[in-house]
Amino acid sequence: MNRITLTVNGVRHFVDVEDETLLLDVLRDTAGTTSVREGCGVGACGACTVLAGGTSVSSCLALAVRYDGAELTTAEGLDENDDVVSSFVDCNAAQCGYCIPGFLLMSRELLSENPHPTGQEITDHLEGNICRCGTYPEIHRAVAAAAERRAIR
Amino acid sequence: MAELREGWVGGRRARFDTAGRVRGLVSHVGDQPVGAGAHVAVHRSTQPHARIGAVHTADALAMPGVYAVVTGAELHKQLGDRLFTGPAFADQPALAYEKVRYVGEPVAAVLAADLATARAAADAVYVDYEELPPVYDLADALTGTAFVHEELKPSAVFGDLRHLHGVRDTNVNYTYRLRHGDAQAARDAGAHTVTGEFWAPPTHHVPIELPCTIAWVDAGRLEMLTTTQTPSYVRQTISDLLGLPLSRVRVTTRPLGGSFGAKMYDRLEPLAAALAWTTGRKVRIVASREEAFLLTTRHGAAVTSSLTADGEGNLVSAIADVRYDTGAYADVGPRITGKSGMVAPGPYRIANASVLSRCVYTNKPSAGPFRGFGVPQVTWSHESLIDELAHELGEDPYAFRRRHLLREGDEAPMGTRMHSADFVGCLDAVANAIDWFSPLDRGTGRIRRGRGVAVGVKAVLTPTIANAVLQFNQDASATLLISTIDMGQGSDTIMAQVAADVLRMDSTRIHVVRADTDATPYDTITAGSRSTYHTGNAVRRVAEAMRDKLIGLAADRFGVPASDVELTEAGLRGGGQVVPVTELILGHFGARGATLTTEANYTSKWVPYDKETGRSAKVTEHWFAGAVGVELAVDTATGRVRIEHLAVAGDVGKAINPRLVEQQLTGAAIMGIGHALFDQLVLDQGQLINGTLLDYQLPSVRDLPGRLTPIIVESPHDDGPFGAKGVGETGILGVAPAVANAVRDAIGVRITRLPLTPESIVTALEGNA
Amino acid sequence: MPFLHRPTTLAEAVDLLSILDNAMVYGGGTAIQILVKQGILHADNFVDLALVPGLRDIEAGPQGVRVGPMVSLRRMETDERVRATVPLAAAAYHHVANPRVRNTASVGGNIAHGDYRLDPPTALLVLGATVEATSVRGTREIPVREFFTGFQQTALEPDELVSAIRIPAQPAGSGHRFEKNSSLGENDWPCASAAVLVTGHEVHIGLGAVAPTPRHVTFDARGLDDQQAVDAALEAAEPALDPIPDVRGGVAYKRALARVTIEDAVRAAWKEHRNG
Repeated sequence: MNRITLTVNGVRHFVDVEDETLLLDVLRDTAGTTSVREGCGVGACGACTVLAGGTSVSSCLALAVRYDGAELTTAEGLDENDDVVSSFVDCNAAQCGYCIPGFLLMSRELLSENPHPTGQEITDHLEGNICRCGTYPEIHRAVAAAAERRAIR
Repeated sequence: MAELREGWVGGRRARFDTAGRVRGLVSHVGDQPVGAGAHVAVHRSTQPHARIGAVHTADALAMPGVYAVVTGAELHKQLGDRLFTGPAFADQPALAYEKVRYVGEPVAAVLAADLATARAAADAVYVDYEELPPVYDLADALTGTAFVHEELKPSAVFGDLRHLHGVRDTNVNYTYRLRHGDAQAARDAGAHTVTGEFWAPPTHHVPIELPCTIAWVDAGRLEMLTTTQTPSYVRQTISDLLGLPLSRVRVTTRPLGGSFGAKMYDRLEPLAAALAWTTGRKVRIVASREEAFLLTTRHGAAVTSSLTADGEGNLVSAIADVRYDTGAYADVGPRITGKSGMVAPGPYRIANASVLSRCVYTNKPSAGPFRGFGVPQVTWSHESLIDELAHELGEDPYAFRRRHLLREGDEAPMGTRMHSADFVGCLDAVANAIDWFSPLDRGTGRIRRGRGVAVGVKAVLTPTIANAVLQFNQDASATLLISTIDMGQGSDTIMAQVAADVLRMDSTRIHVVRADTDATPYDTITAGSRSTYHTGNAVRRVAEAMRDKLIGLAADRFGVPASDVELTEAGLRGGGQVVPVTELILGHFGARGATLTTEANYTSKWVPYDKETGRSAKVTEHWFAGAVGVELAVDTATGRVRIEHLAVAGDVGKAINPRLVEQQLTGAAIMGIGHALFDQLVLDQGQLINGTLLDYQLPSVRDLPGRLTPIIVESPHDDGPFGAKGVGETGILGVAPAVANAVRDAIGVRITRLPLTPESIVTALEGNA
Repeated sequence: MPFLHRPTTLAEAVDLLSILDNAMVYGGGTAIQILVKQGILHADNFVDLALVPGLRDIEAGPQGVRVGPMVSLRRMETDERVRATVPLAAAAYHHVANPRVRNTASVGGNIAHGDYRLDPPTALLVLGATVEATSVRGTREIPVREFFTGFQQTALEPDELVSAIRIPAQPAGSGHRFEKNSSLGENDWPCASAAVLVTGHEVHIGLGAVAPTPRHVTFDARGLDDQQAVDAALEAAEPALDPIPDVRGGVAYKRALARVTIEDAVRAAWKEHRNG
């Protein structure tokens, strides 16, 4: 058993985890962040995406002990007025919405690295996330819209 | 005012709680804690077809944290043959009993303190099998001597399947026959006949939310919270399984993280209920992604068919032999076999038609409902054939279809008339969108371009029942109780729009209660695109009843006849007076917070298939009509298809919310692109070999067409709520054949097996060379 | 899951590898976690390199780059020095899986996995990269061209770990191209991939997914015109093509796709070389 510290959306959690405990399970079972979801268990769908220090991670493949001291952000931690959140809302970029938190965080990561992505760069960055409802056109538009909103500020 | 109207019929208001969905704040079944409940894992069969000998559970039981290991034999001892459930046949046991019928079938269930322990213990169970000859495919099933089930056991949950009878020594559990005129003689006498052997493989729905069921016993009642599209059905199944009155079963739900047919009828629920009831423990079952692939699939289907024209190019004969591979359990396969078999000739004026449609057992994971309900598989054949016939006659494939498409009032080959099914309008819309009539740069060298169209027809499930209860609150908000499940399609939103339009109120002040069989009224299922029409009609009626009630109260208050009172945005108006609804209700009850209640029902009726001809004067309450147009490029060196433009049109009668309708059309089209190009379950000797998302292929953002154009066609239905019909499946029907027809146009090769992988295209080109 | 050891020095890490039974290095952990979940990983101990300092360094100079084993694949595509010094390698790393997996997966783990379908080995083969393998016996250098010894087998001894990869700088004026073709979804594993480097006198081709191991072939390009270069490439590659049939295609299709991939990559690299 290992005692680790995780800061999740600004709140510090002290958690006891086994060596094999996955970050996904800590986030869901202990930190109460239900926006982080298991969709495939193999890093292929993106529903379990979390940002660690701003970098996207598949929490279903990540050992929790490795994130001792990490600053984690999940979709719940983004403000409703955040440019990416509001662009997703305005572009209607959610149907069932189950996968959308993952897309949201990937989009945040992209725009922090690359504030003016081309359409192809948006596609390249979102290629590892699956939306089975097929909301891709709206999501793509939302990322472009968020980049524009940021540029105007 | 304009904002208010955006929430009425025809308005483009956003879904309820889009901001919450985006940030992951919507609560799903899997988010609910179960405290000290037992986590369940399942030990699965390694054999496709075998008698179960001893089930060795001692090692599993000895593991710390394991509460119990339950076998099918133990459940059968307590529940008897009630262990077998299913919407068409009571053929599927919650845990395999005496026999296993597919690789991956649940044989024993482990209850443990946590999921990891349960899964480890499930691995520690081992089973002695006596192997039986397996039935791997349709050919084995139809010509062999091995039988998946000794005897067919029809269930009678749904009225339209009552006529199914148990028989022995066959793998065909249901046969639908359509005989209209003499199709064989017309074919023999015809001038031009095209034929084909078509195959659409099994596929999986892969909603990203995994199936999850929590069940417990409370005060002698079985309660459950589950990921289902069919709470009313599940309640009946659990009632039958446990021998309880319906009042002692409660099924509750949360919004689904996608479903597409995957989460309906008997999935995890019978097992969860049986375990909770027999052990007394609260149990939670969640399927891993690998397990979810085994729970249900889309039917693989083979179609052998022909289409014949006379010397003038009139369609004189359509013949189809359709075989749906339903796997080890019938599920709803028999209904698919009938409802989809009957439209195998396509939406055309055809003088003579003959269809043989069969539902066939094999030793594979069971197939059930999937967006389109078997129709995409027959659309694949009829839209490929009519395209080929147009080529044979030297006619334009668009114009040839247009000439023969069914019009308003036409009787389709299966005997029912067309209404609110504007095939021509849909076809014209997609042809215009992709510039069908403008010259096409067909490309040179490796890259070749082509265009294709396809039309689809589907009947809405009939007969079905919908109910609604409305509570109008004194503060001019409302609570709508229905059992429709919002799984992303936006039903909560459009039902509120229907009610708000009738009641001239703000739709965001209407709360739609999530289905709970203790509170929300019976509704057949949320599936088959039936909710907008059926539940929408119940909602319209319940809102109209409420409007009449409010008008009655106002008439009393004003001292004028009800016919002089009108409900407006400002309140009730009549006899020169106006009273806001808040004041009206407060005045009536003398209490803040009081509610008025109304209820309503909408039930559709059908005329059953004629036993001899398979025809019916009213086989369905209404039709879905859709069309797809595609322009694409084929890289003839790699075989890769790149869709440059896909246009998808659907006749929805009237779009309650055009924004959501467009999203249903594009979402269905994207799913259809997967089916057209790469999405399939691959089985080898009954063993699923691509059942993880590392191998199973789903469309990603990379697979989007260059352009994707949704088009709403509206020919209002006389009896639809405000003329509306559903749209969830319309967009998927014609995608695969439209792509194949465009490939045919681009490279001159007709491919009859889905999906159109690059390998299949390169192989076909080589065969042609 | 096997027992997790978390050494804090390289010496401790190689000590553990030398004494533990059936030990495996835990790098980024993406592939390992998948194998653990599928129940097909046969290790008793994991030696996690995350706490060992210095393994995330990228050193760059005119001769090339030296990359620590815990450098993420994503940094290989975004690091300006890597992009400038070995652009072919940056291009190949860019194509692995998706950005989120590349954030976690490590350079050392990627190559040690030894999978025949991976993208980076194609470029490392072409560029003549070297693997530094460290154990209690010291550090030895293994040319990448001798690293892949069989289907999912490498030249690493059980007690060795990848302590760095050295990639020589791409020659000035050379042309390069990485091409990848999937046969199902666009984002699927590759069905054929090729990295090509064209220098003044020779052409190097690295091939992925077309044989049980990543393959390297080369030929003399002096005096060839565009089409002759393509023909020579296909002829040189022919003996290396030995595809494994699976759900992504049969042998004949995979061979055909490999040839198209090689042709496209060679044409593009050749053109860049000529214009460069």
